[in-house]
Amino acid sequence: MTASLSATVQSLLSALGALGVLFVFAPLVPGVARKTRAILTGRRGPPVWQLYADLWKLARKGAVYSVTTTWIFRLTPLVTLAATLLASAVIPLDGKRALLSFSGDAVAFAGFLALARYFMVLGAMDTGSSFEGMGASRDVTFASLVEPGLFVAFVALSVASGGLSLSNMLGADLWLRWSVVAPTIVLLAGSVFLLMLAECARVPVDDPTTHLELTMIHEVMVLDSSGPDLALLLYSQALKLSLFAAILIDLVLPRSSLPAWGAMALLGAGLTAVGVAVGIVESTMARLRLPKVPLFIASGAALGLFGLILLMR
Amino acid sequence: MIAAVFAGLALLLAAAFASWVLRRRPSADAVFLTLALLGCATLGIAALSVLVAGETSAFVMRAATPGGRWVFAVDRLSAVFLLAIAMIGASAAAFGTPYIAPQRSHRPMWFAHSALAMLIAALALVVTAQSIIPFLCAWEIMAIGSYLLIVTEDEEPTVRRAGLIYIVATHAGTLALFAMFASWSVYATDWSFGALAAAAPSLPNQGAMVLGLALIGFGLKAGLVPFHFWLPPAHAAAPAHVSALLSGVVIKIGIYGMFRVVSLLGGPPPLWWGWTVLLLGAVSGVLGVLWALTQHDIKRLLAYHSVENIGIILMGLGVGSLGMRYGDVALTLIGYTGALLHTVNHALFKSLLFLGAGIVNHATGTRNLERLGGLARRLPFTWLAFFVGATAIVGLPPLNGFVSEWLVYQGLFRAAHSGELLRLAVLGVPALALIGALALACFAKVAGVVFLGSPRSASARDAHEADRSLLVPMAALAGMCVLLGVVPTLGVDPAMAAAASVAPAVAAAMPDPLAVARNATWVGAMAIALLVLLAMAFALRRRMLRQREVRAAETWSCGFAGASPRMQYTSSSFAAPLVSTFGRVSGVVEHRAAGTYHSHALDLVLDRLALPAWEHVHRAALRLRPIQQGRLYVYLLYVMVALLVLLAYLALA
Repeated sequence: MTASLSATVQSLLSALGALGVLFVFAPLVPGVARKTRAILTGRRGPPVWQLYADLWKLARKGAVYSVTTTWIFRLTPLVTLAATLLASAVIPLDGKRALLSFSGDAVAFAGFLALARYFMVLGAMDTGSSFEGMGASRDVTFASLVEPGLFVAFVALSVASGGLSLSNMLGADLWLRWSVVAPTIVLLAGSVFLLMLAECARVPVDDPTTHLELTMIHEVMVLDSSGPDLALLLYSQALKLSLFAAILIDLVLPRSSLPAWGAMALLGAGLTAVGVAVGIVESTMARLRLPKVPLFIASGAALGLFGLILLMR
Repeated sequence: MIAAVFAGLALLLAAAFASWVLRRRPSADAVFLTLALLGCATLGIAALSVLVAGETSAFVMRAATPGGRWVFAVDRLSAVFLLAIAMIGASAAAFGTPYIAPQRSHRPMWFAHSALAMLIAALALVVTAQSIIPFLCAWEIMAIGSYLLIVTEDEEPTVRRAGLIYIVATHAGTLALFAMFASWSVYATDWSFGALAAAAPSLPNQGAMVLGLALIGFGLKAGLVPFHFWLPPAHAAAPAHVSALLSGVVIKIGIYGMFRVVSLLGGPPPLWWGWTVLLLGAVSGVLGVLWALTQHDIKRLLAYHSVENIGIILMGLGVGSLGMRYGDVALTLIGYTGALLHTVNHALFKSLLFLGAGIVNHATGTRNLERLGGLARRLPFTWLAFFVGATAIVGLPPLNGFVSEWLVYQGLFRAAHSGELLRLAVLGVPALALIGALALACFAKVAGVVFLGSPRSASARDAHEADRSLLVPMAALAGMCVLLGVVPTLGVDPAMAAAASVAPAVAAAMPDPLAVARNATWVGAMAIALLVLLAMAFALRRRMLRQREVRAAETWSCGFAGASPRMQYTSSSFAAPLVSTFGRVSGVVEHRAAGTYHSHALDLVLDRLALPAWEHVHRAALRLRPIQQGRLYVYLLYVMVALLVLLAYLALA
């Protein structure tokens, strides 16, 4: 009894620690991506901790609210943050077990991310700006294609690991069957990487550094947000990128047999690696034309589907 | 508890009668409403007591009724639907009475009230009748009552046309049901459902004929693609509270019928049926939401979303039936539970949305999305209720729609682990994800274009909030959506018991039937955690903004100072990228000319299939016209010929 209790406490502490690592280091991932991009294009670029400085600056500012907006706009940053935090509670960040784990928690993960997007889109529409409406429209269009792709990956993981919760799908159970399902995992890693680029508004779907409102997707939806609101939105965005990165790390870095500190160190290393990979993509290719984006997302989903088919032979 | 059902029916009939008797008195509305609400409350209590205690007492009419014994009973399956009927019926009556009151001068009120009460009573009777004749009688009263309510505003040609299409479609469905019961009762000792169940094993081909006809007959009522074509025009034509009842409950009777047939057949339905239901569900879901996205009329848009949600319900039913066939106990229970719970959930939020659309229509005089905007400031309470409904129908936590979609997802995920062909059902998962994401796009569009931003027309600018009597029913429905989302076990437990009663043999084999319910508490815990985190984030931001300047300013238009409401993204422009991604399947027809753009959405089944087919039938029928001479001796000749042919047939046979 005591042994199982202490094991539970230990796994709880490990999950909490990994969550802490993620929450603290999340703003570093976009920073690493930006730095990589700068170096590869021959510039010095801002330091990797630039986003921390931005967040700190914004947190100490006042706010400007458009006269057109209603309570939806004020609620948007809060819901976006709360929903993204909750979504991270079901991902096994230490490679073993998530803080919350139950059958069907993958649906909750997608559901909370969708809730965040729903509020982002409504907040954009709330301003009555044509630019923000445009960004909202593009965002829901691409998200409609990303979501089925993400679920294909979840199904494939569920079959590969034999589990029904994300902790089983991405944790130890997956690694016990690694030798059988390795080809699928490779395909899924590719699929999740492409879907991550689309979902987190990175090149080649969206460009976080563009300065032309007409071409923005995610950036334009927060045009009217300012001060602490903008800080919460930027942090949530970084956290979402890190969450997808964590799924990738769970896929390709076995950590279930490591002690807690080792798992966390690998998590940090993995987050950096994903940031570098995103930066490499951003410096080597341009944005796709908008009508080509659905094709890009569909090819990401197709990779996952191939992985699933391999399992079902 | 059947006595309570009859008491409720009597109260509803009294309400219908009273509104006629008192039609010239000022007290008519109040008396009608009191009696109707009491009737619905009695039905609701009957349903709840069955759901809690599982009591199923039958009432058998022993008089010389046509078609043998007439049996009436409430079992758990009936109770789920009876509860939805009671809740939505009460909201529709409470909302409808003040809603149509301003039309008193040019329309007889008593007729609309009586028809509504009769419709609610007929619905309750359909789900409690356990014999063929009373079932079909109640079914017809329901169909005709719906028709009378749909054509309330019959001065409009579009309303009359919608009514005509509806009545043709519903009778085609009734015909299929006649055929179904006829082919089944041949093997039964009498026409009660009990006898039909006893005869189920002797049906040829595992009841293939019965199940196929049930899919057509009940499918026409439920409005699954391709049998949905009557639904959007009819639900858009009816007054708001009637649309709420039609979309919330009446189409669900088709789902009830399918569940009842599956339950009467007892054993697992054949494979082809389960696969067909699952496939039709996925197709209805995807096409329903895609077509909803293309609509300009808010009520037509909501009606297409009913097609989508019927699709989700059918996916649960389909995967549950497949699980039963393949012997996967948990899958059956989860699939059926998801379908039944989503039925109730959809009844709640779809009625709420239709009532909200009614208030918008009433306040602005238009249902055209392109002429609305900025109503959140003008109709704050309507907006709040509509917002809850929209978030729930998209299937987002922490509301009730998420719980039932989560169950259907789980059923599909479990199918993946089967060693047999069943695992192909897992392809329903991306379909369901696509449905959910498109629904999010669609309701972000509706909420954003109708309620947020700036008003796009003078009528939207001058809108005023509705009377409190209209807001109370909406608040009640919105409250239920929140309650069933934050405390999911409230809905999951009774729905699971009802699902178990549909497949008792399967349920008995389930090692731990409550495992799913325990998981649902996690969903509730996350919903509560979301609210706690929201409160914390709110406090954090307040702290950060303390002693800082908070200003109001115009929306940033990238340096352009003359932004006007006309420059906002419209409903069509919001949907445009998705419509072009899906191409011709979306049914959008564009008309471009120099300086103008106009688009409208066709219903691919009605406009491209049903109406052209009807044209062909009509033309063929014209060829028969020479037979009709209008002269007596020609008809006498026909009679003679017919007699001779019959005599010849008898002589030869």
